[in-house]
Amino acid sequence: MQKVLPLSDYRWLALPPLSFLLLLVGLPLSRLLYEGGLAFSPALLGDAYLQWRLGWSLLQAAATCALTLLLGLPLAWVLAHFEFRGRTLLLRVLMLPFVMPTLVAGLGVLALFGPHGLSGLNLQDTPWLLLYGNLFYNLPLLIRAAVDGFDHVPASRLMVARTLGASRWRTFWRVEWPVVRPWLASALCLIFLYCFSGFGLALLLGGQRYATVEVEIYSLVAYELNLADAGALALLMLLLGAVIALLYALIERRLARPDKRSPPLRQPVQGWPQRLLLLASLLLLALFAAAPLLAVLLRALLADAAAWRVLLQDDTQLALGNTLRFSLLALLLATLLGLLHGLAAQRSAGLRALMFLPFMVSPVCVAFGLLLAYPAYSATLALLVAAYALLAYPFVAKAVVSARDALPAALPNAARTLGASPWRVFWRVSLPLMRPALRRGMAFAAATAVGEFAVSLFLSRPEWLTLTTLIYQHLGRPGAANLEAALVLSSVLLLLALLAFMAIEWPEKTHARTS
Amino acid sequence: MFKKSVLLLALAGVSLTTLAAELRVMTHSSFSLPKERIAEFEKQSGAKLAIIKGGDAGEMLNKLILTRANPVADVVYGIDNTLIGKANAAGVLEPTSSKVGRNVAVASLPGAVAIDYGYVTLNIDKAWFAGSKLPLPATLDDLTRPAYKDLLVVENPATSSPGLAFLLATIAGKGEEGAFQWWGKLRDNGLKVAKGWSEAYYTDFTRNGGARPIVVSYATSPAAEVFYSKEKLAESPTANLLLKGGVFMQVEGVARVKGGLQPALAQQFVDFLRGEAVQKELQTSMWMYPAVAGVALAPVFKHAAQPASFSNPDLKAMQHKTAAWVSRWTRLVIKNAP
Repeated sequence: MQKVLPLSDYRWLALPPLSFLLLLVGLPLSRLLYEGGLAFSPALLGDAYLQWRLGWSLLQAAATCALTLLLGLPLAWVLAHFEFRGRTLLLRVLMLPFVMPTLVAGLGVLALFGPHGLSGLNLQDTPWLLLYGNLFYNLPLLIRAAVDGFDHVPASRLMVARTLGASRWRTFWRVEWPVVRPWLASALCLIFLYCFSGFGLALLLGGQRYATVEVEIYSLVAYELNLADAGALALLMLLLGAVIALLYALIERRLARPDKRSPPLRQPVQGWPQRLLLLASLLLLALFAAAPLLAVLLRALLADAAAWRVLLQDDTQLALGNTLRFSLLALLLATLLGLLHGLAAQRSAGLRALMFLPFMVSPVCVAFGLLLAYPAYSATLALLVAAYALLAYPFVAKAVVSARDALPAALPNAARTLGASPWRVFWRVSLPLMRPALRRGMAFAAATAVGEFAVSLFLSRPEWLTLTTLIYQHLGRPGAANLEAALVLSSVLLLLALLAFMAIEWPEKTHARTS
Repeated sequence: MFKKSVLLLALAGVSLTTLAAELRVMTHSSFSLPKERIAEFEKQSGAKLAIIKGGDAGEMLNKLILTRANPVADVVYGIDNTLIGKANAAGVLEPTSSKVGRNVAVASLPGAVAIDYGYVTLNIDKAWFAGSKLPLPATLDDLTRPAYKDLLVVENPATSSPGLAFLLATIAGKGEEGAFQWWGKLRDNGLKVAKGWSEAYYTDFTRNGGARPIVVSYATSPAAEVFYSKEKLAESPTANLLLKGGVFMQVEGVARVKGGLQPALAQQFVDFLRGEAVQKELQTSMWMYPAVAGVALAPVFKHAAQPASFSNPDLKAMQHKTAAWVSRWTRLVIKNAP
C-alpha cells in the first residue's frame, strides 16, 4: 500500500520551483560572481555616499511599509465590511497601478503634482512625491491581502463578539487583527523588498538624490562591466533582503493559524455615518491609487482622434498579440510554480523566505548572469517567458501560503477519514477553499507579467514587441504624436489588464455552499 | 572547420536552426528599419535575419564582451566612437570594411564600417524662451549664471549614452579640469540630472510639462518634433542650442563579430546597410545622418541646424579615460563632493 503523507508535509513539492530558482537565479548569479572574481574594491563599502544610499534604501522601504499599513488597513477594513455596488469591480481596478510602465505612471503623477500639475502643487524632486509614488504602487498589494484576511475572520466569532457587547474597536483588536496579521506579513515583506531594490519610480519622482543601491549596481554592470564591485554589492543586497524575508517567514509561521471558514459577513451601508465613512475611503483610494491613472486616461481621451489611429498600426497589433501570448504563458508557468512552492512551504520558514528570492536578487546581475550561463539560449523566447514567470510566481506562492495557513484541518481530515485519496482531498476540498486567494495571486502575477520589469534587461527581438516595450519606443522619440501614442497605448494596456483581472477573478458562486 | 562547427552546433540542438541560414544581428534598442528593407535583405541573401536587441549601446557592448567565448551574434550594429576603442581592445570585433559607398568626411570608425552619424547637443523650448524674454545663453559658462538657475536638465552619464556624450564634449571643449570646474558650478546653479533621455525629455523638459526649458538631446530632435507633430507645423517648437564645448559628434557603425558563425552573410549585411535605400530610410527611422557621401537628406531635416563644429576627445582618451571621467562626474555632481 502506498505510504500516506500527512496533509501538511508536502515539502517534496518544492523540487520543481527550487530547481527553477537554481537554474534561473542560483547558477547565473554564481557564474557572474565567478566571472567578477573577488577583486572588488575594499573602499567600496567604506564609501560614505554608498552607505548613505544603503541607509536611504532601507529607510524609504520601511517608511513605505509603515505608510501603506497605516493607510491600507483601515481602507481594507471598510472594503471588507461593507457591501456596496461596484465593490467587486473596485477590488479589480485596485490592481491597475501594477501594470503601468514606470515612466507613464510618472507622467500621470506629474500631471497632478508636477510643475504644471492639476493640483496646483508642485512636488517634483521632493521626497513627498517619491513616497506618494511608492504608495501608488504598493497600496493595492496591502489592501488586497488585508481584505482577504478580513474575509477569513469567521462570521460566527464576529457575531458572538458583538452579542457580548464588544465595541467595533475591541472586536477588531481581539477578533480580527489576529486573523489578518499573517496575511499582512507577506504583503509587507513584498512591499519592503520592492522598495528596497526598486529602480524606476523612486529615481523618476525623487531625482538622483534618492537613487537606490540597485541603480549603482546597474551602472557598474551595464556600463562599466565592473563585475567584482557589482557582485559584492549585489551579494550585500541579497543578504539584507534574505534577512528581511527570513524575519517575515518566522513571524508568519508563528502567527499563522487555521480558521473555520465561513462566507464573509458584509453589511449594506446604512445611515449617514457609514455613508460618510465609505465616501471618505473611496476618496482616499481615488487620491492614492487612481488619480495618476485617471490623469493618463484623461490625457489619452483629450488626444486627437488621429492619435487613436496608432491602434490600427501593424506594430500595435503585434504588441497586443504578444502581450496576451507572453502573459498567458508566464501566468501558466507562474501558477504551477507558485502553487507547488506555496504548498511546500507551509512547514518550513526557509522555503517561505526563498519564495521571495526573485525580488532579493539584483535584476541586472541575473540578466547578465543568464547571458554568461546560457549564451546559446540567451535570445530565445523560452528564456524570456521563464524570466517573466520568475518575477510573477512569488505572488502566487505568497497567496497560496497564506490561504494554506488559514485552511481548517477539520475538513480535509474528515475527507481523509471518509476514504478520499490525498489527491482527491486536495482537488475537492483544499483547492476550492484556497481558490479566491490563489486567483488574487494569479491576477497580481499576470499584472507583473504585463509590466516592464524584466523586459529591458534581457536580450529581446523586435518580433517580441509587447505593449510595454512599444510604449517605451514611442517615449524614446521626440514629438507630440509619440507622447499621445504612448498615452493611448497605456490606456489600452489598462483596459486589457482590467479585463484580464475580471476573467482571472471571476466572482465565484460555489463557495457559499462550503459554510 | 566552419562547416564542422555548424554541424556540431546543430547536432547539439543548441541553435534554433531552420533550413535557411540565420544571421544574428546584435543591435542597440534604438535600431529601427522599415520591414520592407528587412524582407528585401532576406530575399536577396536567402538568409533569415534574427535581430537581437541588447539594450543601450554601452550595455549591448558589455553583453558582447561577456559572451565573447560563445558569441551570441554574427554581426553588430550600433557601436559608436565612444565605444569602439573598448570594443577593439576587448577583441570582440573582426576588422570590417565595405566597398559600398564613400564616407562623408566626419564619419569614420577604426575597425568598423560607419553607417550613420549625428550630434548630441542642447535643445531649447522656443515658446518658453519667447515667453520669458530671457536671452538664449551664448556660452556654456552663461549656464552657470544666476539668470539661468534651474533651467537645465542633463542625463546621467552613468546610465545614459547622450548624457555621456555631452560630458565628453564638455571635457574636450574645456579641458578636463575646466570642465569639472564648470560642472561644479552648474551643480550649484540648480542642475537637474535625469536617468535617461526619455525621463529628461518627457518629465523635465518644459515642452512636455516639466520645469526645464533646456535639455540635452540630439541635433535632429527639432526635426523629429516636426515629423511627429500632431498638425502640420511650419517650424519646430524646439531648436538646437549649439554652444562651444557643448556639441558631441557621434558616429555609429557596424562590424562582424569575432567568432560569428556567418562571416559571409555578415559582410553582406554590412554592405546592405551602406546601400542607398537604407542610407535614405535610416534618417527618419533612427534620426541620424547618412554616413555615405552623396545620399540626399530627408526634407524634414531642414528644421534641424546641423552643427558646424563639435568637440570630441580623441578615441584613445575616450577608450582609457571614460570610466574615470564618469566616476569623477558622479563624485562631483551626484555625491556632491568637492
